Amino acid sequence: MKPSVPPGPPPELRFKPRTNLAGAVRGVWRARQLVRTLAERELRARYKQAVLGFAWAIVTPVALMVAFSLFLNRFADVPTRGVPYPLFAYVGLLPWTFFSAALSNGGGSLLANSSLLNKVYCPREVFPLAGVVVAGVDGATALLALVGLFLLFGVGPTAEAVWVPVLLAVQVAFTVGITLVFSVSIVYLRDVRHALALVLQFGLFATPVAYGMEAVPERLRLVYSAVNPLAPVIDGYRRTVLFGQAPRWDLLAAGSLTAVVVLVGGYAYFKRLEGGLADVA
Amino acid sequence: MSPDGTIVATRVWKRFLADRPSGQLRDQLGQIHRRLRPRCRDWTWALRDVGLEIAPGESVGLIGSNGSGKSTLLKILTRVMNPYAGSVEVTGRVGALIEVRGGIHPELTGRENIYLYGSLLGLSRAHISSRFDRIVAFAELEPAVDRQVKFFSSGMQMRLGFAVAAFLESDVLLVDEVLAVGDASFQQRCLDRMRHVLDQGTTLVFVSHDLAVVEGTCSRGVWLDDGVVRADGPVREVLAAYRGAIEETAERVVDVEGVLTLVQAAVTHPQGGPPRSGEQLDVRLLVDSPESLNGKICVGVSQGTAAPIFLLKRPSVLGEGRTEVRCSISSLPLPGGRFYLWVGIFANRRDLLAWHPAAQFDVVGPELTPAPRGIVCLAPVHVGARWDFDRP
Repeated sequence: MKPSVPPGPPPELRFKPRTNLAGAVRGVWRARQLVRTLAERELRARYKQAVLGFAWAIVTPVALMVAFSLFLNRFADVPTRGVPYPLFAYVGLLPWTFFSAALSNGGGSLLANSSLLNKVYCPREVFPLAGVVVAGVDGATALLALVGLFLLFGVGPTAEAVWVPVLLAVQVAFTVGITLVFSVSIVYLRDVRHALALVLQFGLFATPVAYGMEAVPERLRLVYSAVNPLAPVIDGYRRTVLFGQAPRWDLLAAGSLTAVVVLVGGYAYFKRLEGGLADVA
Repeated sequence: MSPDGTIVATRVWKRFLADRPSGQLRDQLGQIHRRLRPRCRDWTWALRDVGLEIAPGESVGLIGSNGSGKSTLLKILTRVMNPYAGSVEVTGRVGALIEVRGGIHPELTGRENIYLYGSLLGLSRAHISSRFDRIVAFAELEPAVDRQVKFFSSGMQMRLGFAVAAFLESDVLLVDEVLAVGDASFQQRCLDRMRHVLDQGTTLVFVSHDLAVVEGTCSRGVWLDDGVVRADGPVREVLAAYRGAIEETAERVVDVEGVLTLVQAAVTHPQGGPPRSGEQLDVRLLVDSPESLNGKICVGVSQGTAAPIFLLKRPSVLGEGRTEVRCSISSLPLPGGRFYLWVGIFANRRDLLAWHPAAQFDVVGPELTPAPRGIVCLAPVHVGARWDFDRP
């Protein structure tokens, strides 16, 4: 005797996932040890059979710096206000490498961990966040090369560098927001993965990494900063650390606004789509 | 708020796309025009109106054929998946062992994996450290714990996964068909561990196709059939109903092949009426043969599956035309309940009559002695015995 069941559920039964951002943030905070463990796993697994190990974190930005110095700076004379070009470029490359690594680690993290997603419950944000943390560890390692460059050129950071934490906060907020958006989109639409590589290549040139903010006409800078928050952040790093000036607050405000919108909107978007992850992953 | 370890699932529905979109842009573009006409999408229901209330400390065996929705239900209980409709509430910490190598990363060592898996299940590092040695001891991994897991055997990986989940001390433990990989002694220790966990008041939901293990571990059975709860109750009754249904499907599906035809099969008590435990049982078969053939006649009794509880075999010559085969069992070793007679006739290289269920019969007699929890009786056999206690 098979029990009789209606052909479909009545509409009032439909499951409605609760997207409460404050609760979600608390959930992530409770899972902070998991973020740490996952990041540790990434780092350990990555360097397990690599001879250079953590040195790779330095090699990538340094190689780009050398390439910029050898080729770009030679043909297009970049105004650096008297700062040696390698140092100028490296200060831009550090945040850019962090952003790019976070986006490629974290962006693919849900897809890479889909076997886990299907078996164990945890707040799904931990995977992209762990990717960002890994990029952060790499970035901190790459700071060593900056110290080396300072020693090499016989200069040091200026006192204005106290503003660096503010800049860093904007940078991290923007990076986390973008990473969350990409990580969940990639699972639903695999094409995004290919697009991501393109976006990152494009972004390297659309961001003042190899050149300075001076390359952008003054009347466009505000719009430019609002579209690409990394621009005022990188400009801010150079002004505070190398030139001894305060950040351009108007540009930074525009960038921060975008960063906050991307972070909050991206998180809401992530929470909206995470419910179906196990169905498609 | 219900006490920790309670599971309440109310009218849960879940559906999947029969033709899953691959997640490629061109497929998604194809979806867009189909989405405008939603009726064109092929949804199949994996769970339909499933209701389940499990109290703390209950042990529930989830049974059903492949594709009946057992794993989907477990995933919804662990919150890995959202239901399409209905609601699910699980209180307390949930430990889940959905797949053997679920949380295991091949590049990391056993030690690193234990910490990773523990944190995935929501444990603090201190908590894992305090149980680390017991986990390693239980999984018998002492010499290998600092080796990369990709160099583990599949049995070692499975033991690692089970040990972490089992030593979690969660309020709810969900175990999906995972014990199949381990060897016999490890399986027994897993069952012991599950019993221990149950004694501590943990709620257990256990999915397995090994009905004997379900019977030995769980007190309550839930039978899912095509996404619908077909039966829910004491494990013995649910299993009996499930076995009966397997038998029906087998009878329908098995198109009995072979040159021979079984015209009739009957199981009776010599004085007529139903067979009785410990007494004589007569089996009578009528077989039609197109020619004179040599073959081995096999007669078995099962609880529904093709694996019999016992088997009788005899070589014989079947002449052309009809032959009546009679077989008497002097003392029937079965308890009361429903059983099935399976028949097959085999020659050297071919099946003269395929192995198939030929008749069902009810035995009158005492109930099967229930085994203590955690002990799995392979076959439901009734053995008459006398006990004496002396004080020397």
